Amino acid sequence: MKREIPILLTVLSGLAIIWSFFSSYPVADAANTELLQWALIFFSVAFILGIANLVRVSLKQISSGHSDSIYKIVLLVVLFGYLFIGLAEHHEWFGASSLGGEGSVTVKDWVYSKMFIPLQATMFSLLAFFIASATFRAFRARSLESTLLLVAGTIVMLGQVPLGEEITGGYAPRWLGFLMVYINAAGQKAIIIGATLGVLATGLRIVLGIERSYLSE
Amino acid sequence: MLAQVADTEQGMAQRVWDWLDRISNGTDAAGNQTWDGIGAWIDTDKIPVLAAILIFAFVMFRAQKQANRGKEISIRRIAGLDALDEAIGRATEMGRPVLYVPGIDEIKEIQTIYSMMILRHVARKTAEFGTDLIVPVRDSIVLTFAEEAVKSGCLDAGRPEAFNKDNIRYLSNEQFAYCAGVAGIMTREKPAANIMLGMFFAESLILAETGFMSGAIQVAGTAKQHQLPFFVAACDYTIMGEEYFAVTAYLTREPNLLATILASDIVKLIGMTMLLIGIVMATFFAVDSLAGELTWIDVYRRLFGS
Repeated sequence: MKREIPILLTVLSGLAIIWSFFSSYPVADAANTELLQWALIFFSVAFILGIANLVRVSLKQISSGHSDSIYKIVLLVVLFGYLFIGLAEHHEWFGASSLGGEGSVTVKDWVYSKMFIPLQATMFSLLAFFIASATFRAFRARSLESTLLLVAGTIVMLGQVPLGEEITGGYAPRWLGFLMVYINAAGQKAIIIGATLGVLATGLRIVLGIERSYLSE
Repeated sequence: MLAQVADTEQGMAQRVWDWLDRISNGTDAAGNQTWDGIGAWIDTDKIPVLAAILIFAFVMFRAQKQANRGKEISIRRIAGLDALDEAIGRATEMGRPVLYVPGIDEIKEIQTIYSMMILRHVARKTAEFGTDLIVPVRDSIVLTFAEEAVKSGCLDAGRPEAFNKDNIRYLSNEQFAYCAGVAGIMTREKPAANIMLGMFFAESLILAETGFMSGAIQVAGTAKQHQLPFFVAACDYTIMGEEYFAVTAYLTREPNLLATILASDIVKLIGMTMLLIGIVMATFFAVDSLAGELTWIDVYRRLFGS
């Protein structure tokens, strides 16, 4: 029964969602909305599990004197500090808090927009350097395939900049168009069709209970 | 003569079109409402999708029946999947952990669900070899799934004591905070093998390049075509597109799962045939269709696509 009941629930939920996708019947819509509401409740509860995991792993590393302890201390201080600020401002424990300015910015908003968003942008901007280093490695003509990649990459780069157009007598943008519209689009569509069939096969395998390896023992 | 043939074809196409209208709206030839029509039960725009699913299911069950009767279904060698064992073996030899990144999407994404199934196989292998497995996750629901997958993998290997709950780590719900956390694990804990399987977005190259710089053997896989070039450029092995969804069938060689791969190939063949028919129709009927006449290409579009 430990395996049969979860499989039965998966099959029933899967069929209900599939039914609601194809049917315009109100009952199907209602079943879909209800199931999605349940999923939202699960998501909210699981968020607490995530924080509990983060705190448990961090405390263990701190108590064992792990070399990463300092990072874990910073993580926990920021986690609970930000939680405290958010709760304090929401419930006005210290009165209405505002840093003034346009739209009366709160401390929580300030930390988010002045610290968190720039940090995210910093991580994202690293991508430019990583693209350069990955391209440098990928563009070595070691085999026929990598030579084709090098040639295609060169055409794409030349086709994107005015200098490329100038030195190729206006041909580079045309070659770029040919590569992107025919070769690249055809390759991408082949991958998309294959992946879509894979998604369909996997979805059916799960919904019909053929694939059961997601169930725990 | 040619004009007559064209008129007949147009008349037939018009008759099929009218018949489709009638069964969709539930009217008779005179336009009187006789029943609710199919449109009252299902969204008629989605009939091609429903037909594709039903055809796929039918082909899959047929293939399964054949597989269960003992028909051997072979699957081509996929280098990236063979490399999974090689990567885990290398980590074992070096006495360093294996890092498994299940992508950054939620559990409702099929690639994440599938990643959890692959994780179970990876966990079984690492448990057999006695190697640590670190699984950082971005979503708290995925955390519970990952814990269960690793626990089940250890049980499959007959080594439940190999399960270390502290190695399944929730890092952050934010994309780049998670990315920074995983990059930190790669540089500080120096796993010998990085396995990245699931749904990835802009962080794919940051993770793959950081892993490359740390000297780990890297196996990546996704069905998200925009991230594939990054993985191809930065990883040792890449599992792409449909190969990604063949992992469990490939690793377990279970007839029922292999049958679904065979069914995919058969449906792909049907799809290719339909594409060819579409090309022929577009070549011969598109001009009349563009001129405002109802032709077979319009009927074909209505039945099988947009």
